[in-house]
Amino acid sequence: MLEIRWHSRAGQGAVTGAKGLGDVVANTGKEVQAFAFYGSAKRGAAMTAYNRIDDKPIINHEKYMAPDYVLVIDPALVLSADITAHEKENTKYIVTTHMDKKELIKLVPKLEGKEVYTVDCMTISMETIGRAIPNTPMLGALMKVSGMFELDYFKNAMLKVLAKFPQKIIDANMSAITRAYDEVK
Amino acid sequence: MEFLGWDQLEAGAVIPSFEDKNSDIVKLKQEERNYAKTNSYTASVADWRVFKPVFNKDVCIDCQNCWVFCPDTAIVARDKDMLGIDYDHCKGCGICAEVCPTNPKSLIMFFENDDNDTALSQWPEKKKKEK
Amino acid sequence: MAEKLKLQEVEVWDGNMAFAQAMRQAQIDVVAAYPITPSTPTVHGYAKFLADGYIDGEFVLVESEHAAMSGCVGAAAAGGRVATATSSQGFALMIEVLYQASGMRLPIVLGLVNRALASPLNVNGDHSDMYLGRDAGWIMIDAFNAQESYDLMLMGFKIAEDLNVRLPVMVNQDGFITSHTAQNVKPLQDEVAYKFIGDYKEVNPLLDFGKPVTYGAQTEEDWHFEFKARQHKALMDSKDTIENVFKEFESLTKRKYNLVESYLMEDAQVAIVALGSTVESAVQAAKNLRESEGIKAGVVATRAIRPFPLKEVARALKDVKAIATLDRSAPGGTLGMIYNEISGAMYQSDNRPIINNYIYGLGGRDMTQKDIKEIFRDIKRNADSGKLVTPLQQFSGLRGPKLSFFN
Repeated sequence: MLEIRWHSRAGQGAVTGAKGLGDVVANTGKEVQAFAFYGSAKRGAAMTAYNRIDDKPIINHEKYMAPDYVLVIDPALVLSADITAHEKENTKYIVTTHMDKKELIKLVPKLEGKEVYTVDCMTISMETIGRAIPNTPMLGALMKVSGMFELDYFKNAMLKVLAKFPQKIIDANMSAITRAYDEVK
Repeated sequence: MEFLGWDQLEAGAVIPSFEDKNSDIVKLKQEERNYAKTNSYTASVADWRVFKPVFNKDVCIDCQNCWVFCPDTAIVARDKDMLGIDYDHCKGCGICAEVCPTNPKSLIMFFENDDNDTALSQWPEKKKKEK
Repeated sequence: MAEKLKLQEVEVWDGNMAFAQAMRQAQIDVVAAYPITPSTPTVHGYAKFLADGYIDGEFVLVESEHAAMSGCVGAAAAGGRVATATSSQGFALMIEVLYQASGMRLPIVLGLVNRALASPLNVNGDHSDMYLGRDAGWIMIDAFNAQESYDLMLMGFKIAEDLNVRLPVMVNQDGFITSHTAQNVKPLQDEVAYKFIGDYKEVNPLLDFGKPVTYGAQTEEDWHFEFKARQHKALMDSKDTIENVFKEFESLTKRKYNLVESYLMEDAQVAIVALGSTVESAVQAAKNLRESEGIKAGVVATRAIRPFPLKEVARALKDVKAIATLDRSAPGGTLGMIYNEISGAMYQSDNRPIINNYIYGLGGRDMTQKDIKEIFRDIKRNADSGKLVTPLQQFSGLRGPKLSFFN
């Protein structure tokens, strides 16, 4: 069982990201779960979304999760949200930030000694999609860090998920995924 | 009507109006329709009356006011021609007489025991407007 | 003619999408609805399918849930396939009309996405609304995940509209935990799904002008009792139809449903009886406990809540020594519904296990693996002691001092 927790602000696309990832993974024959805590459901409010991935049907419906990956797609949430909640020894963190790893850990000391990756999903999404929707670039970074799928396979699978959007948006998302895949450190 | 057991009822307390299916039912006159025993057409309220409406065809203008207002569809009319009262379904409420606009009224309430012909022979004259 | 949607063999749908897709495939004549969280996406999804040309039907956006169910009653009496969806406060407002629908024997299908009842106001999942409806004369079935929500919504139409049944059907799923959690769902293709449900069969339709009928008659003490008795018998007899529909569905999909679902019960000594997504979570906990602590744990759930499968549930629990009954609804001054139902069922059987009651998960409080395992360990102690050593009623997952009753 692979478990992923997303930290996001309502409106940044964490739910869409989690469901998109679920779609892609389900196509490979695996079982998936994607859900979220909505809280006050106001745009901008801190929220969490979750993925479970397994070879067997997933029958555990508890919201509690000790994640293998923590994806932080809003830069300020490392300060205000409890991003290390229920962490395991080998939990991996991928954090959206303009800082490098050293600067980030200095600012957020609880990440000291953890496996931390940084990628600037905000800048990437602004420069490619033109809006601050950091969900698809984060998926690109996750692919690189986890080695879950080859980049080309993943991008191809995401085309299906994004099919309802205009071609321009799809293309922008593709370059966002590629850039985050290449830039995550 | 006979009291039926739970196993003899139409599910959902659905009550049919007629015994058989007839798509032209609307064109049949009441007396020609095959009413179901659950239909209130076969239930008479004649014995409820203390007063009864008597109809005077000579004064009536066929305005249909009584037909519209009667709560028990006891006014018999055909093609907007007022024919009279269905005394099986009239319970003597007097609304028809109340809403009748003619002068004198074409529907007047008499005692149930009064003879209709006698009543018609005693019909009041047209009232003059009071100044 | 409605457009068809080509579905993938495996879709990733949440419970609401599962409801909306099944409703689309049923080609409903009239949906009258007033959306409310967490069932909103069911209604929204259905309305979108209709607007996009995938359904030939009417969607009536009404001014309240009372009006929504009233619209459904009118349309069903008129002679069409009818459904709606709601939750919580909306369901509470529908209650009066729910009794009308079942009394008039109208085969309406209601997707009930379970949510807590105020006050305090809460949008999350518990079974307060489900419990509120349990005497309304509806067939009530419960889905434990998104796949089952889809399957049971399809089967709901077939059960309700069966000429031996003609009763409204309520399909329950857990708010958010099921309704907003996307999981793998294997749908049927449109033609297959519609063929399974079949064309709508009219019974005493109001719009048959050749045979006019009255719906909603007044019956006093001289007639009312007989009608209600007949209605109760239809609900009790619907068990056969439900089982037949389950069988037919199994032969089509290989997915097996039962009036009472049993998991790991073959050699179980202790069992949890629950409803909703907790059933599956409890199966997970039972599996782990069997491996880690050797507790012979099992899980039983009534797929059909009404008609209540009294004999079947007693049979499923015939060999256990202790049972935990888990109720996700504030019990309002007594033991939980499941405790009372299961105790009643076991009292009629040869097995007299020790039964206790847990109130849990109110307002969407997480039911964790840890909580469930603690319950299994509790009832293991009851089983080993051969008598009740735990309180009769406890609150699981509650902050503050331990709360228990009937000690």
